[in-house]
Amino acid sequence: MGLLQGASELFPVSSLGHAVIVPSLLHWSFKQSDPSFVPFLVLLHLGTATALLVLYRDQWVAIVRGFITAAIRGQMKTDTERLAMLLLVGTIPAAILGVFLESRIKSLFASPYLAAGFLVVNGILMLGFETIRRRAERRAALAGESRREQEAHFGSAERISFVAAAIVGACQALAFLPGISRSGVTIGGGLLAGLRHEEAARFSFLLATPVILGAGLVEVPGLFQSGVPVGEYLAAAVLAGVAAYASARFLLRYFRSGRLDPYGWYCIAAGLASLALLHFKP
Amino acid sequence: MTRSSSLAVALGVIGVVFIVIAALYAVGVLQIATSSASGPHYKHAILFAVLAVASFVGANFARPKAAT
Repeated sequence: MGLLQGASELFPVSSLGHAVIVPSLLHWSFKQSDPSFVPFLVLLHLGTATALLVLYRDQWVAIVRGFITAAIRGQMKTDTERLAMLLLVGTIPAAILGVFLESRIKSLFASPYLAAGFLVVNGILMLGFETIRRRAERRAALAGESRREQEAHFGSAERISFVAAAIVGACQALAFLPGISRSGVTIGGGLLAGLRHEEAARFSFLLATPVILGAGLVEVPGLFQSGVPVGEYLAAAVLAGVAAYASARFLLRYFRSGRLDPYGWYCIAAGLASLALLHFKP
Repeated sequence: MTRSSSLAVALGVIGVVFIVIAALYAVGVLQIATSSASGPHYKHAILFAVLAVASFVGANFARPKAAT
């Protein structure tokens, strides 16, 4: 589970959807309605958040410094200070929606059918984001250029508008639905806001870190109170972190010229196959 | 952001209100929009503390600055 979650968390394929569907298909003795299921997933997410902190350690130090400096000064003078404020603006909508919608959304967690259905929706969203992006490339007459040259016409994370950052941040709340990918919708939102694929992925990863960390820090005490095998769960979290680190490195390299399409097609195929298997399983 | 004293004051007041709400959630007095009807709600408290910080930052950004 740790490897599965860590590997799929940053890929735009919904780790939560996989965490709900796969144990059901493989008949793993994992009760998704168990009170420790969500805290366990959050612990795995903490592993992922730690991996992202390690990956972007220098940037996070600069972002925190930039935030404090800009907050005290009351002005943004550098790109890093602007990025720090963008991350604050992007995090707030997701935090509000997460806190107030959490209990309602949790009731959906126990249904692998819903997760498989949302996985198909996630795939359609990914393909939709790329369709809109291709239109933007056609409008900018970039059709004949190489992928790297096309990407160079789009912006960096620091140049995204504050309204766009808030919308992309709010899109993170969609990821509370199992099957909808946090990184998928935020990378897609970044693309719609005019970011390069690699920068959209970087903004997505930076935006995810405080939300995942915050959610983890308040859920973990509940996990330790519920009498679960903490050692095993922590080992799973470490595996999730290692897998997430490798995934993030791969994705940042991939998105220098790659698109979301393969992940969109994968989600549609995996969602439909899961629906069929769940329907016909003995 | 448009700079004005009244906007800065308003954001400052909102920040103080958010701190009070955060404290009420943390001690378990406030139970609005929570999953259980008793006890402290740290998640809500942290959220309103973050909103308070964001309000104060916004107030500082909105505050008219002396020309340099």
